[in-house]
This record gives sequence, structure tokens and C-alpha cells, in this order.
Amino acid sequence: MIEVRNASLVYDDHGRQVFACHDLTLELKDGEFLGILGPSGSGKSSLLYLMCGLKTPTSGEVAYRGRTLSSMSEDERAELRLRQFGFVFQYPYLLGYLSALENVLVGTPTNGEAKKSGISSPWTNGWATEPAARELLTGLGLGDKLHRMPFELSGGEKQRVCIARALLGGREVVFADEPTANLDHVNGVAVVETLVANRGSGSLVMVTHDPTMLEKADRVVTISDGRLAASL
Amino acid sequence: MRNPLAPTVFLLRNTSKTLPLIGVIVLAVMLIGGIVAIMDSIPLSIRTTYGYSKAYLGVSPRGNMAMTPILRHIVKTESPVPLGRVMTCRVSDCEVKSIVGPWRFAVIGLSQDDMSYYLDRLGGCTITGRLPLPGKAEALLSEPVARNLGKKLGDVFLGPTDSNNYSPNEVRVVGIAHMKPWVALAPIEYLEKYHFPPIDLLIVTAKDIRQQDKLDHWAYERLGGEMARTYTYFRLEIETADMFKILYTILNVVIALLVVVITLMMAMLMNIYQSQRLQEFGLLQALGYARKRLMRRVLSETALVVAGGWILGVVSAFLLMTVVKVLLMDPRAFMLDPFDRQAYLYSVPVPIAIFLAATWTIALRFRRFDPVGVVERRLV
Repeated sequence: MIEVRNASLVYDDHGRQVFACHDLTLELKDGEFLGILGPSGSGKSSLLYLMCGLKTPTSGEVAYRGRTLSSMSEDERAELRLRQFGFVFQYPYLLGYLSALENVLVGTPTNGEAKKSGISSPWTNGWATEPAARELLTGLGLGDKLHRMPFELSGGEKQRVCIARALLGGREVVFADEPTANLDHVNGVAVVETLVANRGSGSLVMVTHDPTMLEKADRVVTISDGRLAASL
Repeated sequence: MRNPLAPTVFLLRNTSKTLPLIGVIVLAVMLIGGIVAIMDSIPLSIRTTYGYSKAYLGVSPRGNMAMTPILRHIVKTESPVPLGRVMTCRVSDCEVKSIVGPWRFAVIGLSQDDMSYYLDRLGGCTITGRLPLPGKAEALLSEPVARNLGKKLGDVFLGPTDSNNYSPNEVRVVGIAHMKPWVALAPIEYLEKYHFPPIDLLIVTAKDIRQQDKLDHWAYERLGGEMARTYTYFRLEIETADMFKILYTILNVVIALLVVVITLMMAMLMNIYQSQRLQEFGLLQALGYARKRLMRRVLSETALVVAGGWILGVVSAFLLMTVVKVLLMDPRAFMLDPFDRQAYLYSVPVPIAIFLAATWTIALRFRRFDPVGVVERRLV
């Protein structure tokens, strides 16, 4: 589904070239849980940003279903991220003025938008995906906190809201960048299990420095100094 | 459920940020509207106080008192429009108050018959009291003049001890005419006997009041200059406009400076508020909201704040001016128009300039914005 071909990402650090990713090649298959493992600063997050189109490779290319991301306009890449990709970041970013339920709905189309862009929408009252969002949050144990504001939620609860946001609407790929980094081990494992259990038929790409979080991964690649060190 | 990213959702749930912005715009619009309305009240006062000249043409001879009959003859024989009446009058003056100080105001001496015609010509009215009797030291004031001077029936209007409103005898108010035009009338016989200059003036009316302006223009050309001085409404308009040209130029500069200061202040405030939302913008952009879409959203919010602030400002300015008019101006018959469109039009550059400045600030911010920096916590 996503192919990374000889992709490099080079930063300019005061005139010095720094390779965040160096000639990486890998493929993400439909429905696959791909783990990206590596120490801090190894380039694993940069690889994730390349795969989802948030960064453009300095050389090489990244293709989604055969179409290179660099051939897409900025708007097309944004639309791809909005409709097909879900994101869980290291920090549980939520919009402070929206409730848990509203935060989950951010990024999903309204009925009007669905109609306009021809996106199929099985729901017709209010936001197209509102019932699904409620169901998802309830399934994640937040059924009684749908209308709580972010400041009323714990770190783990916030991260679960972020997971619900990433999963809602049946995204093709969920990208998770160190989603357990700020959680204790028990909560971290719970988050990974939630992601795995709720991703449906979608793929999951998870970046972490903790190998125990990738026990359920279909495949794990290890990154070191921006290079692919191993694939298991 | 409402779209969580609708502009109104952010604005209504972040009133601590929204209200100060709206407040500044409201105050700016009130300030500008108030200044312009007060400024406009001066020419408005001139037009109102001396608005009686709309209804007739005044002619006074220059240098030679014997010219009056000749002027009368010329008017009667050469007038381009049918005439209503050519009245002989004497004129003295008194002092009325305005927001910029005292102004001289004509006390017109007419025969009783001409007084009735004169009042009818100005639109007609009911009179509390009566018309001044021929030759008596009496006066009739219209209601705005009486209010301006604080006079009521029986009060002394002109007198020997009042150097600004002088007459050798006490001239008392015997009638108050309930009409909008400012009028002060006295018997012609009394002015002839006790007041200088001993010159007969003419008051000339066109038969059809709609032709008065044509008559005025003709008289200004035909009689003006060495022969006579004419008093016409169109000249009052021209002279008032000339008088205020420089003042309005200064006003424009002051308002332009105000707009610049307010816009810079608002742009700074908005910049601060946008900086506080970097995390939100970064997150949304990372999730897939294109820059254009985010810009559109932020600009919609800005447009709502700016338009809302302006509308509230106009309403507040209107209410403020109405209060000022009722409490401060009306009791002294001073002019202030809360419906002064020019006052509100002058405030239109405020929202436009703020919106443009905000657009520029937001565009700059989004141009170099890296959402990865935000989600990795490098920028926040």
C-alpha cells in the first residue's frame, strides 16, 4: 500500500548535512502492523513522517497505492491524511475547547462535506460519524466521559481519545509515533492493545523505542542512524 | 451536533480571547463615530440655526439706504420666477448658544401681517401666547430659540442691561412658535424706532417654494456686489462647506492615524492569540487540514470578530449619541444627529484595516509553519 523507495531525508544544520533517513526502502502491506524500532534520534519518526506525507524525501520517493506523494499537491496530501490516515502522537494533543467526543470528530467529514465530495456516509443526523464516535469512545471505556473537556481527562484517557480520533471512519493506515512514551507500562500496553484491536482491516505503523510494545506486530524494522538495521 | 471546527465554536468557547478583541473594535468605532458626529454637529447647527433662509431671500442695500426701493423694483420686475411676497423688514440681533460658543442671530422686525405670512412660509405653527403687537417691545421666539436661551413667556429677551442682547427697552417674549426653524421676530415699528442701522431690508419669497433656490441664485448674480448683499441658503451651504474644509481635512488625518494605531494594536493582539494557537494549527495540519482550509477558518473567525465588533460599535455609538443628545444637547437645543451616517462611515476603515492586517499576519504565520515541529513539541 505504501512503498518507500531509496528515500533519504536530509536536514541542513548550520551548513552541515544531517541524514535523518538514509536510502530507506520498505513496504507497508494492507492490514499489516508494522513496528519501527530504534533508539532516540535514530530517524524512526522521520521515516513515519515520510510515509504519511508530512515530510517530503530529499531524494527517493514514497508512494501510496502506486502514486508518489511528491507528485501530489499539498492539498491532495492533506486530503489523503485527513481521509485515509489516522495519527496518534507521542503527546496526547487535543483541542482544549472541544469535548472528548468533539475532539474525536475533528477530521471527519460533515454530512455536507460528505455529500459534496461523494464520500459515502451511512449516518444522516448531525455529523456523519457521530454515532460511530460515541460507540468507539464507549468501546474504549470513555462512554461516561464523552462530554468531558480535555483538562478533565487523565493522560491515558486523553491518549485513548486520540486513538479514537485516529481510528474513526475506518482509516486505511494508522500512524502512531511513540504513543506509549508518556504512559506507564501497563497503560502503554493497554494503548497498543486498543490500537491493534480497533484498527479493523486497516494497517498500523507504530514507532517506538520499547520492543515490548511491538509483540503483536506482524513485522518490526529497526532503524539506526537513519538506516534500516534489521527487519524481523 | 455542531461542527466542532465551526468559527463560532472557537469564538464562543474562548470568550476571554474574543471579547477583548471585540471590545477594542467597539471602543474604536465609538470613538471615531463620536468624534465625527460631534464635528458634524457644528455645520449641522449652522444649517439648522440659520435654516430659515431656505424659505426666502434676504436683500440689504450696500452703502446707500436709498437703494432699497430700487432693489425692490428690480426684484419685482426682473425676477425669473413668480414672487410670493416682497416684505420690508428691519433687523437687529441677539446671541444664541452653540457647542462652540455664542453665535449672532437675527431678530427680524416685520409687520404683524408679514409675521403671519413669514411663519406660514416656514411651515406653519401653533403659537403659545400671541404675535407681538405693532410698535411694542415684544418678541416672538420659535421653540428651539426659546429653549436655547432658556426663555419662556414673559421673560426679557432683549434689554438695556444685556450688552449681548441689547435693546434700550425690555423686550419681553409674548409668543412661542412651535416649529423647528429658529426664528426671532419683533414688530418692525419697534426696531425702526430703537435699533440701528436704520436700513430697510427686503425679504423676498418665490410664489412656489420649490423655485426659491432659482430666485436665490438669480438674486446673488443680479443684485450681489456693489448694489446689495444677498442672504441665501445656497451661499450658507457653500460658506459652511468652505469653512469646514480644513477642519475635515485635519479630521481625516486624525482618524487615519487612529485607524493605523488601532490596527497595529489589533494586529499585535491577534498575533499573540494566533501564537497561543500554534499547537492547534499544527495538530490540525498534521491531521490533514490543508493550510488554505485552516487559513479560511481563521479568517472566518477574524471576519466574525471584526464584523461583530463593528456592528456592536455602531450600535453602542448610536446609543451613546442618543444619550448625549437627550441629556446634554436637546435641553439647550444643540444639534447632534445620532443617525449621522457619515459618523459610521468614517469607522468603516477600522474593521477593513484590522481584517487586512490580520490576514497578512495569519498568512505570514502559515507560510513558514511546520506541523511536525508542533507535534514533536519543538515549536510549542
